[in-house]
Amino acid sequence: MIKETRITLKNLGRINPESIDDYINVGGYKAFEKVVGRHHIEIIDEMVKSSLRGRGGAGFSAGLKEKFTSEACLRCEQKYLICNADEGEPGTFKDRIIMENDPHLMLEGMLIAAYAIGASKAYIYIRGEYYKSIDRINKAISAAKEKGIIGKNVFGSAFSVDVEVKLGAGSYLCGEELTLLESLEGKRGYPRIKPPYPAEYGLYGKPTLINNVETLATIPTIIEKGPDWYTSLGTENSPGTKIFTISGDVNKPGYYETEMGITLRELIYELAGGIKDGKEFYAAILGGAAGTFVNELVLDTPMGFDTLKEKGAVLGSGAIMVMSEGRSLFDMTNSILEFFKHESCGKCVPCRIGMPQLLHIMENLKNNKIGRAEALDLLLYESEFMAKSSLCPLGQSPILPIKSLKQYFENEF
Amino acid sequence: MSKLVNISIDGKKIQAPEGANLLQVAHNNGIKIPSLCYHKKLTPTGACRLCITKIKGTNGLVMSCTVSVKERMEITAFDQEIEETRKHILDYLLAEHNDHYDGTYNDEFREWVAHYGLDKPENRKYPNISKALNYKTCLPAGKVDDSSPVLTYDASKCIKCFRCIKGCDEVQGKNVLSFSERGITSYIIAGFDQWNESECDGCGECVQLCPTGALVEKPHMDEIRLDKLDKKVITTCPYCGVGCQLELSVQDGKIVRSDGVEGVLPNDGRLCVKGRFGYDYVHSKERLTTPLIKKNGEFVEASWDEALDFIATKFSEIKEKYGSDALAGYSSAKCTNEDNYLFQKFIRVVFGTNNIDYCTRLCHASTVTAMLKSIGDGAGSNSIEDFATTDCLFVTGNNIIETHPVTATYVKNGKYAGKKLIVCDPKWTPLVKYADIWLQPRLGTDVALLNGMIRVIIKEDLIDPDFIKKRVDRGMEAFEELKQLVEKYTPEKTEEITSIPKEKIIEAARMYATARTAMIATGMGMSQQVTGTNNVFSLINMMMITGQIGKERAGIDPPRGQNNVQGATDVGCSPLIYPGYIPITNEENRKRVAKLWNLDFENLSGKPGLTTVEIMHAAYDKKVKGMYIMGENPMVTDPDLNHTEKALKELDFLVVQDIFHTETTPFADVILPAASFAEKEGTFVNSDRRVIRVRKAVESPGKARDDWRIIVDIAEKMGYSIGNYNTESEIFDEIAQAAPIMAGISYDRIELQGIQWPCPDKNHPGTSTLFLEKFNTPNGKGILNPVEHVPQIEQPSKEFPFILNTGRILYHYHTSTMSRRNKALTDFANESYVLMNPGDVIKFGLTGGEKVRLTSKQGELVTTLQASDQVAEGELFMPWHYSEAPVNRLTRSDLDPFSKIAAFKLTACKVEKI
Repeated sequence: MIKETRITLKNLGRINPESIDDYINVGGYKAFEKVVGRHHIEIIDEMVKSSLRGRGGAGFSAGLKEKFTSEACLRCEQKYLICNADEGEPGTFKDRIIMENDPHLMLEGMLIAAYAIGASKAYIYIRGEYYKSIDRINKAISAAKEKGIIGKNVFGSAFSVDVEVKLGAGSYLCGEELTLLESLEGKRGYPRIKPPYPAEYGLYGKPTLINNVETLATIPTIIEKGPDWYTSLGTENSPGTKIFTISGDVNKPGYYETEMGITLRELIYELAGGIKDGKEFYAAILGGAAGTFVNELVLDTPMGFDTLKEKGAVLGSGAIMVMSEGRSLFDMTNSILEFFKHESCGKCVPCRIGMPQLLHIMENLKNNKIGRAEALDLLLYESEFMAKSSLCPLGQSPILPIKSLKQYFENEF
Repeated sequence: MSKLVNISIDGKKIQAPEGANLLQVAHNNGIKIPSLCYHKKLTPTGACRLCITKIKGTNGLVMSCTVSVKERMEITAFDQEIEETRKHILDYLLAEHNDHYDGTYNDEFREWVAHYGLDKPENRKYPNISKALNYKTCLPAGKVDDSSPVLTYDASKCIKCFRCIKGCDEVQGKNVLSFSERGITSYIIAGFDQWNESECDGCGECVQLCPTGALVEKPHMDEIRLDKLDKKVITTCPYCGVGCQLELSVQDGKIVRSDGVEGVLPNDGRLCVKGRFGYDYVHSKERLTTPLIKKNGEFVEASWDEALDFIATKFSEIKEKYGSDALAGYSSAKCTNEDNYLFQKFIRVVFGTNNIDYCTRLCHASTVTAMLKSIGDGAGSNSIEDFATTDCLFVTGNNIIETHPVTATYVKNGKYAGKKLIVCDPKWTPLVKYADIWLQPRLGTDVALLNGMIRVIIKEDLIDPDFIKKRVDRGMEAFEELKQLVEKYTPEKTEEITSIPKEKIIEAARMYATARTAMIATGMGMSQQVTGTNNVFSLINMMMITGQIGKERAGIDPPRGQNNVQGATDVGCSPLIYPGYIPITNEENRKRVAKLWNLDFENLSGKPGLTTVEIMHAAYDKKVKGMYIMGENPMVTDPDLNHTEKALKELDFLVVQDIFHTETTPFADVILPAASFAEKEGTFVNSDRRVIRVRKAVESPGKARDDWRIIVDIAEKMGYSIGNYNTESEIFDEIAQAAPIMAGISYDRIELQGIQWPCPDKNHPGTSTLFLEKFNTPNGKGILNPVEHVPQIEQPSKEFPFILNTGRILYHYHTSTMSRRNKALTDFANESYVLMNPGDVIKFGLTGGEKVRLTSKQGELVTTLQASDQVAEGELFMPWHYSEAPVNRLTRSDLDPFSKIAAFKLTACKVEKI
């Protein structure tokens, strides 16, 4: 029987999330205390060695990101760390679980990262509807401040840091890191032009490191147990563990933290209790709306950034939406495209007008004005155009589900 | 200059400054990469995606507007894939677009659509969804916001390129526009709701930048057809002294549109509401079209010959009977240099007197007096663009957003770039919103405030001793005198006099003194006081001891209120100086001028003439008998109008030459119809000493003529020749001979861009910053003039408990003879009012919105009361543009002893219910 391996969820259910003492009693803030006595380059080296890949979905090396931000300038008056807690990808709820159950773990990860890059100010940009998370994070910050873990000269060192919570206001796009920066600066949530990247020109134009909640919550354990221990988990290119959030037609939907490399079949049938109502597996969407449809051919592929990519699929945020036989791919696709249209900010032409065009094709298909094959080709044509000409990842997203439909469900869509 | 790098675009080798914007580099080199959201004035947006290129070594398509060029960059701007993608984008845009086109506006989008063959509907691939789009909207007609007096927004024609928003933010610094909603149904919104309820002040920058017909201007929309335009004429704005370059569109002999000229200083395309929408007066039915002679108390139409003969006879009679000094003239800050030059020549040669002045005496005379004495030049020391780049700007007594709106855009640009801004004004002005510090002194306490700041600077050792030693007359010795004088102005004492908290005084002094470069912009609030000259002396003292002059982006600038107030003085419309600031009292100077004018030098009077207000006093005392007024309206502009009225009635003979009947024309014996700015050739000089061209766009109405031609003819009828000129260019060449500061300027040199004087020879590029090497004083050093604060004579009393301050508003100009003849401007504002602090409104049992009577010792008027915390308790503010409530019925004619400026800013008043 496959078991979970918990790093970011290690304290879940073991401690009272609102008690900093509980957290400290299970060894909390030890890693941070250890870190502030050391040279920041050592910390970054360990992070690079751990090969931890960003858990927000893109899978970029967390250590390298720290390195770039740290090296962006030698005598910067200000650098920032931002925790991206604007979890909005459909089917994804891993960050919420961490924040609600172990807010201090995430905070400790933030403090270590802030120390590593030399940021004296950190922000948590959190989804506005996550009331419980917001409450717990705020309580955690207050408690840490009272203990002197956040503040001036923490643990008697020269390092001072402040942490502040900022709430998102319901825009999916604000989870995109450059749009997040605009929002954090009090501006309307429009994506910035890239480059420059945040490591160079981030919040208020200063070097900024932006990490996902899950990424940050992994850091304390890496520091505590060392990079070699971490790389011993998971697969070669995707070391460590990942929280998968499984929803849809399974018996036990929910969150499961396992080592990378687990298969979809194991996740669905062993951890999530198999398909509901005794039905057959039909399809799964990996990675949320900006994700990919897969069929049974992928059930035995090890879950990892690169292994899935080889199959034309994405790991993304770790969301898995399972569809049993009888479900409509058309409805699911339509609903994904409606979502994108609703969230398109309207700044760039391909995304703003492309989204309604995709839905228009869907409508024509529904009304039998065009056939399935033609519709799929048209969808592919438009979404490819959008992918290559859009300003930000949102306009580049429809190609993911649409291309995977073509690959796995060409005749069933 | 940044380093040049070598790049290639489609194989064409190009050199460009490292880091330059790739799209701009391409455009500059004639490679027309399509684009819609990009504009060289704005930061790149990357929204339209049309300017895609491929760059060797970079994956995918790259927006060229977001790329900085680097050495050896190889760019593909046109290939099949790129062109197909561009066409695809345009086809997309057409899907959400209402492409009805009525020929009234430039449509960049439409041009690109045609370029890609998409003007033919059969070539389009996507169904048009524009009609089906539901804007959740406050737009009244569903998609159209028609509520602004000057523009219309149509969401169905909007391509959401951000140019209007960025123009409003980055160029004009107003931040009024944004998007409402998101995605396909997003649309532009002004403020929180409709346009007319927003803070939009109607400058029209958004209209000028809009690449489609989403934002169009309202005036003349029903008549303008771009394909029927006669011509476009570049000229200079006739309103304030910024000197904005306009492009007038003329159709059927009428001006139908005014745009800002991009890429040329001073405005680089920027305009304010008056410059863009204030040209209708040119074609007003109320224009004077024929000479009028008063017969039996009635004005009767006359021929030019009849009128000029009559004038020549009357002026000659007076000269013969009472002597030259019984004649006087007011020249005009609205007329060209050429008009004004010949006017002063006429007064000096034909009348034989130096009784020539104009309304500059009523605005910056004290500033100029103080500046001439201490630094040797009365003109602004800097260039308009310096307002954006100086590290600290001290704006005092200057409501610059309303009075010099385009200069203010540069101030705001600087503020957004992190520069410091100190505003000193007893009344709230819109600039306060942008200020780091607002100093709000009691009216008439400026000297005390500045002495207090100087004391802080000295105490904290923030002075520039090197500068004082090298550039100040008598160096540290003079400084010591100033130091002793300001010793008693402790922060506590200064706070007591000015009511400004001492912490703010200290902070402002530090901010100004420690800035790497600092500039001062001073206005009417400083100059129009009986202590006007002393106020400016104090400013200059502070500037000198901190060394905030004599380097780039530092100095003192008095922005000029009228289009050519700078030029009129430059060309000698002053009782004391000849063209180019040459004193008349010096015999050598007189000889030089006499030679140029072909005169016996004995015929040039060396006696200083009377100033503006003195001329009126002399008329009242029957010493001046005849007057020639060109384009001035003393019945609104002069202080103590009751006195002015009596003086004008005392005159034996008055000629008023203007474009409209004014409050002054009823007192005239002859009224002459003149050409407006749009009907003449010539030059103006703007606030930063830039000599700029005025060009004829339309014909004058009826028999109206160029001012200078009228002047030459009157001279001839009086038996004098003041020159044989065929063109204005020839007159200017004579000005260049007379005024050494303009010696190197001629029309051929200022065809495209103005030149800033001093420009001593043909090869000189002009001077953007004055005093870099030395001051213009006799020994080249700056002079400190320590002055004491003197309590104002005019104080509130039991009978007159308020102190009245006067000023201008954005939508009107001067006596509003021009501005109130534009529907666009009167739609924004057309009613006189007085502002009173809400506390006082309650205390005196009054109600906001009701009619009240204002009374001073000099007179009374009726206006509407507005409760507003823009003014402090005990103080009032009233705009002076409205002749039906002429505020100068109330003001005093007490003069500043040095400059003879009147104390417009300070009158004790009472306010009563009617």
